[in-house]
Amino acid sequence: MKKKDLIYYIIFLLVFAVILPLGHVAGLVSTNTISLWGRYFCFAIAALGIDLIWGYTGILSMCQAFFFCLGSYGIAMHMLLKTTAANGATVPDFMVWNKIETLPLAWIPFQSSGLTLVLCLVVPALFAFLIGYVLFRSRIKGVYMAIITQALALAMWLLFLRNETKLGGTNGLTDFKTLLGFRLADTGTKMALYGLSLAVLCGAYFLCNRMVHSKFGKVLLAIRDSESRISYAAYNVNDYKLAVFVVAALLAAVAGMLYVPQTGIITPGRMDVKASVEMVMWVALGGRGNLKGAVIGALLVNYLYSICTSLFPDSWLYILGFFFVITVLFFDKGLVGVVDMAWQKWTAYKLRRAAIS
Amino acid sequence: MKTVRITGLFIFCLLFQRPLLRAQTDSTGIYLRYILDGSDSLCGVGISRLVALRPTEAFPLLRAINDMRLYRLNGQPVTPQSDEPTAIDSGKVLLLSLLPPYQLVNDDHGHPATTGSSGLTEVKISRGNRLLLTPVLPLLNLFSTTPQKRILAYSQLQQNQQIDQLPYLQAALAQETDAEALRTGKDIYYSLQLQHAQHAATARAYIDSIVMNWSDNAATMLRTYAHNGTLGKDLNAYTAQQAVALETRYDRLQKIQNFFSGLSLGSILILIALGLSIVYGLAGIINMAHGEFLMIGAYTTYVVQCIFGNIFHSHSDWAFFISLPVSFVVAGLLGLLLERLVIRHLYSKPLESLLATWGVSLILIQAARSIFGDLTAVKTPTVLSGGWQILPHLVLPYNRIFIITLTTGVVALTYGMLYRTRLGMQIRAVTQNRQMSACLGIETRRVAAVTFFIGSGLAGIAGCAMTLIGNVVPDMGQTYIVDSFLVVVTGGVGKLAGTIVAGLGIGFLTKLFESFFQAVYGKVFILLFIMLFMQYKPKGLFPDKGRLAED
Repeated sequence: MKKKDLIYYIIFLLVFAVILPLGHVAGLVSTNTISLWGRYFCFAIAALGIDLIWGYTGILSMCQAFFFCLGSYGIAMHMLLKTTAANGATVPDFMVWNKIETLPLAWIPFQSSGLTLVLCLVVPALFAFLIGYVLFRSRIKGVYMAIITQALALAMWLLFLRNETKLGGTNGLTDFKTLLGFRLADTGTKMALYGLSLAVLCGAYFLCNRMVHSKFGKVLLAIRDSESRISYAAYNVNDYKLAVFVVAALLAAVAGMLYVPQTGIITPGRMDVKASVEMVMWVALGGRGNLKGAVIGALLVNYLYSICTSLFPDSWLYILGFFFVITVLFFDKGLVGVVDMAWQKWTAYKLRRAAIS
Repeated sequence: MKTVRITGLFIFCLLFQRPLLRAQTDSTGIYLRYILDGSDSLCGVGISRLVALRPTEAFPLLRAINDMRLYRLNGQPVTPQSDEPTAIDSGKVLLLSLLPPYQLVNDDHGHPATTGSSGLTEVKISRGNRLLLTPVLPLLNLFSTTPQKRILAYSQLQQNQQIDQLPYLQAALAQETDAEALRTGKDIYYSLQLQHAQHAATARAYIDSIVMNWSDNAATMLRTYAHNGTLGKDLNAYTAQQAVALETRYDRLQKIQNFFSGLSLGSILILIALGLSIVYGLAGIINMAHGEFLMIGAYTTYVVQCIFGNIFHSHSDWAFFISLPVSFVVAGLLGLLLERLVIRHLYSKPLESLLATWGVSLILIQAARSIFGDLTAVKTPTVLSGGWQILPHLVLPYNRIFIITLTTGVVALTYGMLYRTRLGMQIRAVTQNRQMSACLGIETRRVAAVTFFIGSGLAGIAGCAMTLIGNVVPDMGQTYIVDSFLVVVTGGVGKLAGTIVAGLGIGFLTKLFESFFQAVYGKVFILLFIMLFMQYKPKGLFPDKGRLAED
């Protein structure tokens, strides 16, 4: 098992930490492609969170995209304020159009970069804590949990669509120039962001891996498999659930923070009901209950998305829907599960061959 | 109070008394002949004399000249009843006489004359002569044949505030036929009179008339008068009191209207959530594609309408009513297909079914988009357009009433099916305990399939009903799906009564919150409310008790 994991890691690092950057230096891979993969890494980070909460703990949370966007919006507000200040204005353009003259109170902390980083993590964590506390306390689980978090995502999406929220409404926030003094348009900044995303993904994977193999992770698995039994064994189930919910939200928020500088725009479209379900789909396709699966699923689905939408735009939803149904119906361990199964068959076959000869 | 009534009545009588003077009519007749038969210059003389004298009965004639709608039939001036050019060309529009104003005209055979009648000639008036009408232009539309134009003309009089135009307003009101226009006109008439009233008693009578007239801006009008009135403190206080009374009354009507829209929203939610709830209760399936069956029902309605229109060349209301059962069957059959292909593997795995059916819904939405394009609309049947006007400010749209009735019927049928038939008994048994029912010889698979058929069919009916109030778009199911899931969760899974109570409750609360806040915040509050509610009733309104309850 360990050896096979090592192969996965080596291939992953070889492709993304060596070949892609080298290809870019050699001029074979465009900056756009690099940036695209940087964005996929962000999605993979969020997928890790979903795998923790859904794959390992069995709680289907349908509002991860909302936490993702909380992180995104925080960074976006900061970058927009910096750009506005560089232009010599006091409030961003969209506020001028909406006839808001002074900076709203909620925006003021985001003028400082340090405070922004803190808030981008604290706000989603706080939200997750409150939601989780209320929901887990009343023993809402399974489908009920999924539906309520989905309704929550819907309500928040509607709220962010409004101009009164002072977050840019339907158009979202865009037109950023710099991040921490670096120009976003520079190739160097893009490469740095790519590297940072990759590093954060690896770090997050490492931490999640430690977590699921610790005692904490075993309790999570126990909750998934039989919640009542583990609670009879005097474990406070709600605390564990709450902790993993907050961790998942934090991972999503970090992913969102890295995502915005590389995309250059954040709109409420990123947090609608569909967005959250799509995030769950990545994990389901890659293989839930398996951290590798989450990462592979997120990268693969998004890569397929960019290929399919450029080659045959109309059929993307057919392809996604079809794969999704098939995966849920027949391969509930996802792609990684299929590969594992094939691997096992292959070793068994080899063993038999060895036994015969 | 009684004297006030009588004064009001008196004013009302005054209004309808036509100021007809025989001699004036005669002179109008002379000038009319100038216009119809004379040369261009004589016609000009006739028009300018009429404009100068301004006999009220000549205004319909002048309006016809201005709009170039003056015709002659057997030597009499006539005008078509409708202003639409295409309708006039069709030759089926009734003709109205202009002197005496606006009465039906008979042709040679004694039938009502139409624009198709023989002997009808257009009377051409030169542009120069038409320009002579300029001084009376604002008054001409008071005598238009379309109610909207008359309402506009009345409102313009209000802005001018000239007392000398009162006689024309009076004359126009005397022959007013449209209820809405009459209300606006009377309102303006009373308010003009009120502005120029010299005695408190007269003013009071007009105030009462305004109150009784129920117009839109009566309350504001009275408030202004209470503020600016010059006929003494008593009267101002009385006016203010009447304004407040009027506002309370409108407020109450608004509440009834809100209550009604809540009821209608609630019935839509019930209609959608009904199938969802039964299926979830029985098979443990969260069907995210349920909204898409709604969409399928709506498109079925559209297709049925197209078939009626293109093949049978009929645009009758039957298309819609036939599509009700058709969409039930079509959506039900597709639901059955889905059950056979996908759902069958997912019984009692709610989370998996949620995800798989989401994938199905993606496919269905995209399929609808490829087949039908992005936007199509179903024509509302004529029977269901318009509304039931209970009071001047209380209109209940027929389509909403129909949806409420339909929901009541569907709920009653579902109840009957669940509690009065053998199939219903089997469904309830499987819902309670799947294994035990199987042991007792119930074919659980078959029951589940039939239930899925019924559930999807109910969504199809909901979709058919939805075409009455909105467009048919591929992702129309997504709009209501989250809300209807909330209904299922709040009501308790698989509980008919729970679904009904929760659907109505969420419908009412949404409308209630919407009247306090904006629609979006209303939604957020609903959600907070439901989350709080779940703190106390995590299993919904009507949870199972005892052994049936899960863990």
